[in-house]
Order: sequence, then structure tokens, then C-alpha cells
Amino acid sequence: MKQQPGKLGIREFVAIAVLMVGAKATEDTPAILFSKVQNAAWMIPILSAVFFFIPLYLLIKTMSLYQGKDLFSVIKKLLGKYIGFIVCLVIFVISSFAVSFDTRTYTNIIRAFYFTTTPNLIIYTMLMLTCAYGAKKGLQHVGSVSYLIVFYSLVSLYIALGISTQKSNIHAMFPLWGPGYAELIKHSSMKLTIFAEFFILTMLIPYVKSNKVFRKGTWIAYVYICIQISAATLLFICMFDESLGGIAYPFHIAIRFISLGEYIPNVEIIFFIIWIITAFIRFSAFLYINALMFGRLFKIKDFEYLIPSLTTIYLMIGIIPESPMDVTLMLKPLIQNMAGPLFAFISIILWLVALVKGEFKHAKNKNSM
Amino acid sequence: MPKTKTVCRIVLFFVVVMFLTGCWDRGELEDKSYVIGLGLDLSKQEGKIKVTMLLANPEVGSLQGGGGSTEKAREIISFDANDFIAAKATANSVISRSISYELLRIFVVSEEFARDPNFTTTFFEVLKDKEIRLNSYLAISKEKAAEYFLKNKPRMETRPHKYFQFMVDHGIENGLIPDSTLFRYFQSAERETDLFLAMYTTAKRLDNPRIQREDEYMAGELNATGELDDTQFIGSAVFKKGIMISKLTGQETRTVNILDDTTNIKDILVNLPDPFADDDKKQIAARIMKTKGNKIKMKLKGVRPQIYITIPLQLEIMSNPSKANYALEKNRQKLRKHIADHIEKMNEDLLKKSQTKLKGVPYPLPLYAKKYFSTIQEYKKFNWAKSYLRADIHVKAEIEIVDYGKETNRPIKVGH
Amino acid sequence: MRKKISKLWKKGLNTEPEFNEETNTEIIELKKQDISADYDQNLATFKSLFSVPDNIDVKVREFTITTLNRRGFIIYLSSMVGLQIIMDSIMEPLLDNEHPAKNIPDIVSYPIASTKKNIGEITEFITGGNTALFVDGDDQCYLFETTQISGRSIEKSDNEVIVKGAKEAFNERVIDNIALIRKKIKNENLLVETQTISKRSRNNVFLVYQKDLVNEELLKTIKDKLSSLDVDSLIDLSILEQHLEERPRSLFPTLLYTERPDRASAYIEEGHIVLLMENSPASLILPATFWALFHSPEDHYLRTPYGNFIRFLRFLALFVAVFTSSIYIAITNFHVGMIPPDLLMAIAGTRERVPFPSIIEVLMMEIAFELIREAGLRVPSPIGPTIGIVGALILGQAAVQANIISPIVIIVIALSGLSSFIISDISMNFAIRITRFLFIFSAGFMGIYGVTALFIGGLYYVVSLKSFGTPYFAPMTPHSFSSKDLLIRHVPMVERFRPGYLKPKDMVKQRKES
Repeated sequence: MKQQPGKLGIREFVAIAVLMVGAKATEDTPAILFSKVQNAAWMIPILSAVFFFIPLYLLIKTMSLYQGKDLFSVIKKLLGKYIGFIVCLVIFVISSFAVSFDTRTYTNIIRAFYFTTTPNLIIYTMLMLTCAYGAKKGLQHVGSVSYLIVFYSLVSLYIALGISTQKSNIHAMFPLWGPGYAELIKHSSMKLTIFAEFFILTMLIPYVKSNKVFRKGTWIAYVYICIQISAATLLFICMFDESLGGIAYPFHIAIRFISLGEYIPNVEIIFFIIWIITAFIRFSAFLYINALMFGRLFKIKDFEYLIPSLTTIYLMIGIIPESPMDVTLMLKPLIQNMAGPLFAFISIILWLVALVKGEFKHAKNKNSM
Repeated sequence: MPKTKTVCRIVLFFVVVMFLTGCWDRGELEDKSYVIGLGLDLSKQEGKIKVTMLLANPEVGSLQGGGGSTEKAREIISFDANDFIAAKATANSVISRSISYELLRIFVVSEEFARDPNFTTTFFEVLKDKEIRLNSYLAISKEKAAEYFLKNKPRMETRPHKYFQFMVDHGIENGLIPDSTLFRYFQSAERETDLFLAMYTTAKRLDNPRIQREDEYMAGELNATGELDDTQFIGSAVFKKGIMISKLTGQETRTVNILDDTTNIKDILVNLPDPFADDDKKQIAARIMKTKGNKIKMKLKGVRPQIYITIPLQLEIMSNPSKANYALEKNRQKLRKHIADHIEKMNEDLLKKSQTKLKGVPYPLPLYAKKYFSTIQEYKKFNWAKSYLRADIHVKAEIEIVDYGKETNRPIKVGH
Repeated sequence: MRKKISKLWKKGLNTEPEFNEETNTEIIELKKQDISADYDQNLATFKSLFSVPDNIDVKVREFTITTLNRRGFIIYLSSMVGLQIIMDSIMEPLLDNEHPAKNIPDIVSYPIASTKKNIGEITEFITGGNTALFVDGDDQCYLFETTQISGRSIEKSDNEVIVKGAKEAFNERVIDNIALIRKKIKNENLLVETQTISKRSRNNVFLVYQKDLVNEELLKTIKDKLSSLDVDSLIDLSILEQHLEERPRSLFPTLLYTERPDRASAYIEEGHIVLLMENSPASLILPATFWALFHSPEDHYLRTPYGNFIRFLRFLALFVAVFTSSIYIAITNFHVGMIPPDLLMAIAGTRERVPFPSIIEVLMMEIAFELIREAGLRVPSPIGPTIGIVGALILGQAAVQANIISPIVIIVIALSGLSSFIISDISMNFAIRITRFLFIFSAGFMGIYGVTALFIGGLYYVVSLKSFGTPYFAPMTPHSFSSKDLLIRHVPMVERFRPGYLKPKDMVKQRKES
């Protein structure tokens, strides 16, 4: 009764993408954006989305030349065996560190806000165990679970944000242009990392039903997420005004502050549940993709068996920084400032190489024949 | 079935582990003592503070028919400490259970301490404690906070958390005290452009208070007699950059609350001078409802910035001491005009006071100025804190009287 | 490499000794032969096969057929046949026929009859309640369907009670069960196939399906699976269910076991396959998804708003049953700030004198509840009501008064216990009751975080379950075309399609009116 592994439909794919990237609105991203450009922070996701659109579009166009091939095979094909390998390795390493530090960030949040005396390692291990179990189950099941959850996750986010609007003042978003156009442009080009996951998601092309589904799904998720992060950031700005600068995780402060009337004063746990579910799914998908990358890189076919060991390594890397400060202030910015522009650069290079090699013409000829 | 066996063993192992471990954040809820109010005073010793904790006893008043307990509903302890976070541990030498700030509703800071320049450094530690929520309230007491808690003996509400919840909620609804959550305190302290109002309270009644108009009192000035608690919540303390600088009366506080769109006052009952009366003594009672937000326009270019504030208010006239006939359009207009003038004057007086005496606006008005600038640099250059003092403020009240009260048409029958 | 290691490991752990069967090759060989024309030999063969003098209900009767003037004997199991029928329809014509006739079928005009030669087959028929007639000089045996087994009549459904809709339930007689289905689907395409699945007691399983709907591949997998079973005896459908499941150790059921013929036929109409067995008062519907286990037939019998209302109630009950106790523990032990101050004070006040930590308290009450429930099931019916009184009164009231349990825990347990009854499918019900305990442990371990981690882990697990290749949450995810009868149901006019995950031959249930 062996069934071949099913492929992701558009619903599941969009759900994964939305949960993976959309979760950024609920961690430290809004605060980091605010520290850079103050009250114009909400514009950065939109501007970055516009900037990142070009490389992503080119990448997807290049990828569509090779039906059913994932990112790494395309890189290797276009850039040659050795350069390709190095580029892939770099991508893998960056994404590995990103996973480690992101999971560590989540652990920090959980510890700081909800389980203050529990050792970090316990929280971290539980997070990673659950995610590894999910990733081990396979991408299709990660997709299914995200589809089951995504609706509730978004609704609860909206409710939280909706209640927060009661306490916020729209005038805090002015002066409209914040620190000025030049600063805005500069920082949005540096914050491309917000959408870097979409670059990594191209690894999943062989597991998505068709190229068309992938393209459509990517754009739907892309537009949606750009709006969501921007809206969430705007709301946090309006709510906290200038004190947002001193807050690391505005979402969690906000859900601690809001209340459902006089008689249910504290509701943060309800939102915490959904938030942590989102986190579990997010990292399951991440772990799976990283294992997939590793498998492609070193030509390991049954890469799913790698997931437990990879998870352990990430856990160990993530536990190294001693304090949460190290992660948010030193290590994460390093990855964040590097990953986005680098991925954009790789996408453009890939397209250029494809163009020079005449792959597009080739494909056209093939089609016309 | 060796597999089942191993699985069973693993499950059993985890169950045992979960039973035996899992004590990091775990704690039975009856094992804790819940602090409802936290009082902060200056200590006699330099650099220390005096912390007063008001603890609730869950056994009293929360059981239905379970038979009353002879214990007291609350427990109050005061001691000197470095900060109020580590004070939790110190308190345990007196209190049998572990101290929790989960239910902390109100901070009471003595006026003396609030005026101390070191207040902000101590108070900003609130942000570090994860149990304290930003929706708890900040109140300023006239006397020492330690005394305040001791003297405050509510008669109807034996349970302290209920007392403060009701007291504060209704005070805010009436507009006599400001909605002074910690959240707003930090927001304002961080902005530095506007002033923050904290509710003013005392448990000591003045010996011979003057009788004034309905809302012109400060805490302690209301001469209520009878069998009651002496605690009064009325008026507000003004904070600039996190430190207390002045006080406002109940009426002024109410005016600020009407000006401020970010607080939600419900409907307020007020006395207004009667335009039809012969002397000034007669006043009409009215219910003011604010259903729409204020309209604010600014002209910030030029030497003297111009600020136009339009306050839309709905009024319900509740009494008619001079028996004026409101069926006449002329009388209605007169009333409307009169009330509008009165309210405009009240607001302008207050704003004038804020410009001259307080040197800052006591509600987040600068936010409305922001949209006239396109970048932060321009806004900074404009320097609200300074420009505001020079500004011309024009207040316009748009009065809509929705109800002129009952039976306005009935003729006065003398000697009936 | 991995597999090798695990194999070695398994071998090392496997301590089951090897058993050798005593040989009975003689009999097996005998069964493969055909009967002979010789009367005496046949008689001897069957007498020895059925160990006649010892086996009291095997009756052999020898006589002479008057018309043919030949010897003959009939053999039958007296406990399984209608004796009157044999007397009237078989013996009488054979003994008293006056019209000359040459063939047995001409003499005995029994409606259901067949002829067989193979000894083994004949034996099977006799054990099934048929009467076998052997005639001297004939190399074939005449078999008459005289089965008459006593059993229950068709009764009301006991375990899946509904208010509106058909009430009859399957009983232990498979003939009746098939009739119940046929009665609802009057179509020649409704096939009832039979397959013998056990070797020794030769239990039959009946596959019922619509020939022009069912997916051939699915049918083939099921048939293969059935024929791959290698067991001596399989006396009940519920045991077959465990043999068929992909993960028999899983907490969650993947086949739908129902005693309602209306439900079975509704699923047949959608393209599912239904298994029936002699002696089992139920049917097995496969493949089954979470939704099939979660829904109740009443959802569809009631008008759409009411049907959706009870479905929402059931969904709520599912969550209440699984999560209330664990959330109570998580909140009171870890996230005290969540509780409104008044309630917190009340809980703290009542717990003041309770000696146990709340997790022990909850576990004690949960176990007590399960005990009452199990006892209530097993108790002889005359004293049944007392159990309820004892349970509610003694355990609830007294435990509170004795300061062993705080009153709020009673509310929590009563609520979650009551809710668990709403899930009508018995397997799902068990699954929920057991997962509840897992959640209690995880809540005691890490509060809401633990509960959520287990929930997500569980969700991953449940999503990965398959029932004959159908994902557990199909058609919701992975998505396939269907009439979207999942959490809410639509009006019957809109439910126009059969579920896509079955790949039925005809997707459309109702054509749009043109």
C-alpha cells in the first residue's frame, strides 16, 4: 500500500509560505525596523517587497526553464559544478545559521514572556523536537498541518491587532516619510531579508504540483505577507509610538496589554498558543528545506533521515550565544543584512548567466517547435 | 510484541519524568500571595525606597456559602528595599507564601516620591518584571503610600482587588481621574513632548474643606460625611518627563479628558451656569456625551503657531431651575450658545494654564502636529515643546443638545 | 544498513518459540479429492470427516429413493438447518413420490440447490447449514440450502442513537444485513461479493459496493489485503478491522465501524466499500477519514441549520473533551495571570485546604470518572441506575466535603467527561479519552507550551495517517474535489459530488438541473 509522496497543492504551499514569512510580524522585525527608520518603519516591508520583486521575478523566470528542478540543481547547471557547489554551500550555511538564530530568538521570547524560570535548553529542545518530528513526517504533512492551522493563526493575529487598534493613535505614523526618503530607500534595500525565505522556497519546486501552482502561490503569499508585515508594523507604531524603540518584541507586549473587556483582563495565552503553533510549523518547514538542501548538496537521497541530526546541530549552534542580547544585537543582524542582498544578487546572476547562455531562446525554440 | 513493549517503556519513562520534573515555572496557585496594590515611598535611607504591598487573601469573600473565614481580607506590609522586584523575596520573611505581581492592579506613589528626580530610574524597572502588566494603573497619593494603604478601609468592598477595579473604572468613566495606565505613562515619558496625568488620591480628608462646585475638588477636599471610607479619587498629578510637577483639580482633569480622544470617558454629569437665571448661583445639570472625536487643525508655519480645536459634544439637559421654556427656538439657541461659550472658556483656560504654568500640554496633542511635517528632522526642528508655549489655541465647541429634559412645557403651578 | 540493523535488533528481541503443527496431511489430501460413485465409500468418508457417532448434531439418514429404487443418504447439521423444511421438501418427495422420474432435481423441487463433487467443498457447505444428498451410483452430491439459524431479529440501533431518521440496525445474520442494504439501494450494480478469509473456521467476509462507482484500484487493494490474511479463525468484524488497519497500534481509528445500515448504504452510494461478516452486527466502511468518524448520520437528516448546529456542538465537545482538564492544569499551574482576578481568588480559596497538587487532583478525578463510566457499562442492568447515584453523589459531593477535591475540578471533569460522550464513534471516543490523559501530562510538564507542542506533534501524526491510501483529513487537506461536507454541511442540493479522494467512476451525484 505504498503511496508515492503526494505533492503540495496551492493551498498547502501558500499556507506554508504565509506561516514561514508572515510570522516575522510577531517577533523582533517590527522593532528592528523601527530602530532604523522610526515611524516610517511600516513602509520598509512594502519598499523591500518592491525591490525584491525584481530578483524574485527573474529567479522564478529562470527556474521555469527547468520544469520540476529545484534551486540547487539549477544553480549547478548554470554556474558549473564547482562554482555552483560553492554557491549552494553558501546558501545552505546562511540558511542554517538563520534557522539556528531564529529558533533561538523564539526560545528567548518564550522564556522572557511566558516561562521565566525554565532553563533555556528545555524550552529550546522541546521546540526543536517538535519541529524535527514534523519535518521528519515529510513536507506534505507539514503542508497539511499548516493549511489546517493557517486560518486560525491569521484570524487570531487579526483579532489581536484589531483589539490593539483601540489603544492606538493613527497620528503616530506621521511625519509620513520618517527620517527622509534617502534613509528609507537605503534601509529597505538592506532589509530584503524579510523576503529571503521566498528565495529558499524555490527549493520546493519539485514538491509542488506544478510550476504554475508554485508561481501563483508565491505571488499570492508575497503580496499578502508584504501587506501583513507592513500593517502589523504600522499598528505597533501607532500603539507604542516612540516607546517602540525600547521594546524588543512588540507583539508580545501588545498581547499582554490588550484585554477582552473588564472580566477577561489578560488574554495573552490565547494568542501565545496560536503564535507558538505557527512557530512550530514555520521551523518544521525550515528544517525540512535545510535537510533537502543538504541532501541535494551532498547527493544524499534519503535526506529525511538527516533531519534529526541536522536539528541537533542547529540546536547546538543556537545554544552557544550566552544571552538573548547577543542573538538580537550581533548575530542576527549579521545574517539579516547579508542574506537578503546576497540572495537577490544570486538570483540576478542566475538570470544573467541563463540569458548569456541563451537558455531562454532555447526554451522558446523548444516551445515553438 | 517487542516494539509495543519498548514504546510503552518510553511513554512510561516520559510520564514519570513529567511527574517528577516540571517544577521550573510550575506552582500551585494557592501557593502564592497576590499583590493587588504596590505602594512606593522614599526611604529614610538614601538610595532606597520603601515598598508597601497590599496582599489579598483569597479565602475571604470569594467563596459562596462555603462558610466565612475569620481571616482578614487583606494584609499590608511595608519595608525598605532597593527596588520592588527583589522586594518580592524580602517580603517572604513576613508573608508565608511566595509573592506574585500577577494581579497587581495599581501602583500608589506618594507625591513626595513622585516629585523626586530619581523617581523615573526606580519606576522604569516596572518594564523589567514580567509579571507586571502595562495596563495596571499609576496613582499618586497625597500622603505616604504606606499610610494610604493602611488608612484605606473600604466598607463595601472587602476584597481589595474589587475595590480598586471599581473605583478606578468608574472614576475614569466620570472623567474625574485620568486613565493613567503604566502604558500611557511610559509612552508619554518616552515622547517627552507632552505631559502625563496620573490619578490623584488620598485617604485623608481635609478637616474643613470648602464647598465648591460639583467637580472643582481635589482628592481629600470633598466633604462627604456619614459612615464611609475616607479615600477619595479625584483630580490628577501632572508628570513631565516622568516626574511629577504639578496637580490639576477634578474639573481640569475632566476638561483634559474631554480634549483627549485617547481616553474613553462615557457620559459625564456636570453643572453648567444657567443662562436664564437672574443670578449666577443657579446651575443646570446636564449630561455630556462625547460620541465623535475632536477635530484638530494646525497652522504651524510662522512665529506663533495656530491650533484650532473643535470639540463636538452632545448634551442632555437634566434640570431646569429657572423654568425656561425650551420649546422656543430662541431660548434653545441661547442655551446652546451659552453652553458653548462656557465650555470653550473652560478649555481655553486650561490650555492657557498648560502653556504658562505647566509648560506643556497634558495630553498627546503633539501627535496631531506630526502630520504637518514630512520628515522627523523637520518635526524635531520645529521643537514642539518650545513652540507650544507660543501657540495660539482656539477652541470651538459644537454643542448639540439632544434632549431638553422632561416636561419642559408644563406650566408652573404655584401652590398646587 | 539501517534496515539490517533494525532487523538484527528485532531478531535479538524476538523470543517467540517455534511451534510445529501436528500433521493432518491425510485429511487435507482427502479433501482435495472428488467423491466417488460408490455409496458405501461416500458414507464412510463423510462419517469419518464429521466423526459421526461422537458429533451429536451431525445427522446422517439412509433411505431408499422409491422412484429410482436406489439407496441414498442425507447428511446435515441438525443445529443449523430447518428440520421441517428437510422433512417436507426433501425427504417426502424422495420417499413418497409416485410419478416416475429419472433425476433427483425432478423429484426434489427445492428452490435453492446445487451440485458439487469436491469433498472439501461439500464439507464446507454442510458446515454452513446445507443438507447434502448422496445417491448410490451418482458421482455428484446434491446440496440444498436449508440453513436456518436462530438469532436476533432486526432491532433498534443501540450505540448510534439518533432522533430523526431510520432506527433499524444490523444484526448477527449477514443475510438480513445484506437485505437491509439492498432495501435501500435498489440497483443491480450493487454487488455483494464474498471471500473466505480464515483457513480453519472458514469465516466469510462480504464485500458490498456499487460496481459502477467504486474505484477498481481501491477494490483491488482491499481484496488483496483480505486474501493476504493468513489466520486460522477470524470470528468478528472488529477483529478483521484490526487486521486491516495500516497502524493497528495507533490511537486513532482509520476504519469506520457502524451498526447502521442507512449509514453503510450512504457510504456505498459515495463509492466506499462496505465489509460485512456473519455473526457481526455491524459493518466496516473503508476507507474512512477523520470526517467520516466525526460526522453522525443525523447531521444530514436534520435540516441544514440544525445539522450544522449539532456539528458545531460536536466540534466544540471534541475540544472541550480533549483540552479542558489540561488547560485547567496549565493555567492554574503556569499562567495564573490568565484567570480573571475574581475567579483566581475563588479557585485559590477553594484549593486552600486541598492536600494534593492540582495535577494529582485532576488525574484522580479523571480516573474516577473513567471507572464510573466503565462500571456503568458492565453493571447488570437492574442495578445500573445506582452507579450513577454512587458516582455523582459519593465521588462528587463527598470528595469536596472531605477536602480531597476542589469543586472547580469537579466542574472541569464533568464538563470534559460529558463532552466526550458526544463523539459517537466508539473508537474515536476512546482515542479522545486517551489523548486527554496525554495532554494532562504535558500540561503538568510545561503548561500551555507543552500542550501546544503535543498538539502540533499529534496533528502531524494524525495528518500522516492513511486509510487505504486516503489521507486522514482528505478532502480538506490534501485538497481534493468534493461536496465540501466537512466542518459545516451545505444544503443537499449543493452537495453534488462524491468525494474526490475515492476517485469514483462517477464524480457527480446530482446533475445540475438544466
